[in-house]
Amino acid sequence: MNEEIKIEDVNFVGGDNLKFSLLDLDSKHESQWCPGCGNYGIVMAVKNAILKLGINPKDVLIVSGIGCASKFPHYLKTYGIETIHGRALPVATGAKLANKDLHVIVVGGDGDGYGIGMGHLMHTMRRNINITYLINNNEIYALTKGQTSPTTPKGKKTASTPNGSIETPVNPMALAIGGGATFIAKSFSGDINHMSDTIARAIAHKGFSIIDIAQICVSFNPSMNFKWYKDRIYNIDDLPDYNNKNKSWGMIHALESQDDKIGIGIYYHNDDDRETYIDDLPEDEKLSLVRQDINDIDIENILDNYE
Amino acid sequence: MSLNKISIKIGGPAGSGVFTIGLLLSKYFQRAGLNVVYTTDYPSLIRGGHNTCCVRAENEEINAEVLNHDVLVALDDLTITEDLKQLNKGAVLICDTKSTFESADYQVLKVDFDKLLDGMDKRYFNTIAFGCVIGLMGEDGDMLRDALATHFRKKSQEVVEENLKAAQVGYDFAKEFCVQNNTGFLGRITKTQNSLGNTVFMSGNDAACVAAVKAGVKFVGEYPMTPSTSFLHYMAAHELDYNITTKQTEDEIAAINTAIGASVAGVRAMTATSGGGFALMNEAIGFAAIAEAPVVVFECMRGGPSTGIPTYTDQGDLKFVINSSQGEFPMVVLAPGDIEECFEESFNAFNLADILQTPVIVLLDKHLAASHFTAKRFDTSKLKVDRGKYINLSDEVLANNKRHEFTEDGISTRFNPGQPGGIYTSSSYEHDETGYTCEDSENHVKMMEKRFKKYDAIPKELLRPKMYGPEDADLTIVGWGSTKGVALDAIKYLNSDGLKVNYMHFVYINPFDNEEVKSMLDSCKDTIILEANYTGQLRDIIREKTGFYIEKTYFKYDARPFYFQEVYTKIKEVLKK
Repeated sequence: MNEEIKIEDVNFVGGDNLKFSLLDLDSKHESQWCPGCGNYGIVMAVKNAILKLGINPKDVLIVSGIGCASKFPHYLKTYGIETIHGRALPVATGAKLANKDLHVIVVGGDGDGYGIGMGHLMHTMRRNINITYLINNNEIYALTKGQTSPTTPKGKKTASTPNGSIETPVNPMALAIGGGATFIAKSFSGDINHMSDTIARAIAHKGFSIIDIAQICVSFNPSMNFKWYKDRIYNIDDLPDYNNKNKSWGMIHALESQDDKIGIGIYYHNDDDRETYIDDLPEDEKLSLVRQDINDIDIENILDNYE
Repeated sequence: MSLNKISIKIGGPAGSGVFTIGLLLSKYFQRAGLNVVYTTDYPSLIRGGHNTCCVRAENEEINAEVLNHDVLVALDDLTITEDLKQLNKGAVLICDTKSTFESADYQVLKVDFDKLLDGMDKRYFNTIAFGCVIGLMGEDGDMLRDALATHFRKKSQEVVEENLKAAQVGYDFAKEFCVQNNTGFLGRITKTQNSLGNTVFMSGNDAACVAAVKAGVKFVGEYPMTPSTSFLHYMAAHELDYNITTKQTEDEIAAINTAIGASVAGVRAMTATSGGGFALMNEAIGFAAIAEAPVVVFECMRGGPSTGIPTYTDQGDLKFVINSSQGEFPMVVLAPGDIEECFEESFNAFNLADILQTPVIVLLDKHLAASHFTAKRFDTSKLKVDRGKYINLSDEVLANNKRHEFTEDGISTRFNPGQPGGIYTSSSYEHDETGYTCEDSENHVKMMEKRFKKYDAIPKELLRPKMYGPEDADLTIVGWGSTKGVALDAIKYLNSDGLKVNYMHFVYINPFDNEEVKSMLDSCKDTIILEANYTGQLRDIIREKTGFYIEKTYFKYDARPFYFQEVYTKIKEVLKK
């Protein structure tokens, strides 16, 4: 079983005291992503975060849905579950409840998380289960070749909205604050250092952490390229009134961050926000469910009740 | 009226405690050593409407509800209007003094509930009614107190005392009535030892839940839906005693997916639902199958289509369940027929799911799920948890990473995230032995064959339909699931009438033992199939798999269970022709 990781203990510079190396995390599978895809950087950042935290790869479970981003588990040498479209969060929830010693990282796209899986997202945030959710948000459906997604900007022309989308996009940061997540951040697939640091902090956070990652899609959303993002991104840590322990502060800045002005950074995080879901379970959870002995369970006293 | 053989119907509006009276009477009869069948009939609402329940108790083995009763407890006039026609001649009607009903055909016991309550909480009037029924039997009252104390064992002493007081008032009143009117008692129930030995009195859902606890289920994800909701209540009520994480999820999709997640992480996991919820779970069933994640799903059928008649029984989901989810994959579908089978087969379901590493669906229907029956107390001494080819996480052995390794029997060694050495991905995509996405045709063929090969691991004797009654019968009744009860009662009476009828009972319906079933059917002189659906779904499956066409049918799609008299009469008619 693993020792609890505290973010303060982590040497973010890395190098000297790493228990595992990038080689340990190399799945040796050739990627199926397009050249220039933002997912490459995100995989790298997750690897960096795992190494920085010194987690044994065998104790990492990466759970994904279906979509480009959801091919993720194959490109790290950790345990993985590639589930069905939109259902990564409930599968991850079940796995974490069964074995609380696992570090469960959920990865999916904007369609997977904010579209088909939105219902699960709301309830998983509400539960504050101690898992990390990365949404690789390229504001488009890519694996199905270019339809509008829940985060596609209003007015954008896509294969399914040839006359421009008329729907208001989801604001992920505002959604997460309203939904009750206890670690809420935005990052950018073009900034490995920012992603690595944020993901490591998210994994170390006690509770449900969500990181929406602005992701470049070179094939189906080419206009929102590296330069497009660089021109619009600012770091919310630099704001003069910076106070990300305060939900109201986070909400104000979440609402300010729109497509013409994208704030990256941690909008809200608080380890003491409330107990995690597993800590709140009424049953005796000292030992993970998977480690409990199920042979010869005595049910005679139950049967007595039916006599 | 014969002793130790009685059927009582109780009716009233929802919320009036109709079922409490029924359950108290059932407990009373069980403790008197009788066999009991307790069935309910209620619409989908919380207050008002017309709720009824029936308690049938006999010395001999009984398995079904009958349509003629010795006592009718009418908590409102609607019950008299609706249910009087089912009363035997000379039977007793218990109703409130406010009722204007009079009849020379029945003994009418009018109870002034308001007066008898005499300051007690109004809700105790159903306990008074219970006391009245027992009073009519003229017994000494010890068993009454025993039944009450057992029924309310989890309540406070005060509640037990109040109920005892109320029952005593009803009991005295009815006894006095019999003496005053010189009408004679219904007949004394003599306490005997049940020939089954120690018995349990429980519903099909209860029996399945007890089996799940025994099988070591550790995770339950469920969304409430009649008639499967009691699974959620039961497992949640036992979460502390047995360390079972029981979660009401946001919907049925999450319910099964959390269960699959828990399963991949290594624990025994289950969900329960009805047809509508199962429809939502469909995609995940195929996911569990291709990811080779064991999961047990209890599907309690109710009247459909769509929301249908949600609190009534039906056997209309069989082909839907068997054909669930896109593509082809191995899945076990089994339908227990009585309390013992609910227990045994639910326990087997968890073992089979682990051995085959695939979903197992246990198909119940409202009639079996919610009705209560007495059964011989389960012998749990021989039940062994069998997890199949499985490396326990605590063993910390080094696994290879071929979670889906090709093997002789199609079954690969299963190990879970956290196991050193064995990193893999469980995928909904077709994959290679390590779980990596693979769309290669040769690999797909091998994986399809690997998965279907796992069926061979199911013991043949499990798949074989069970035969009841004389071997050389002139007519064989064929049925599945909860039809078993009424079929067994019918063949018993038909055979005692000198007719030779037996019953072929299907529990395992997927996979299907084509050759064995065909040879069994070929050796029958004549066959009739009983199904609580419109199209005859098992009949279709039998024809599809064996070419054997069962011409004679009794399909009942009124969303009520088969009643004893209906089946008895139908079979007699068929045999006359």
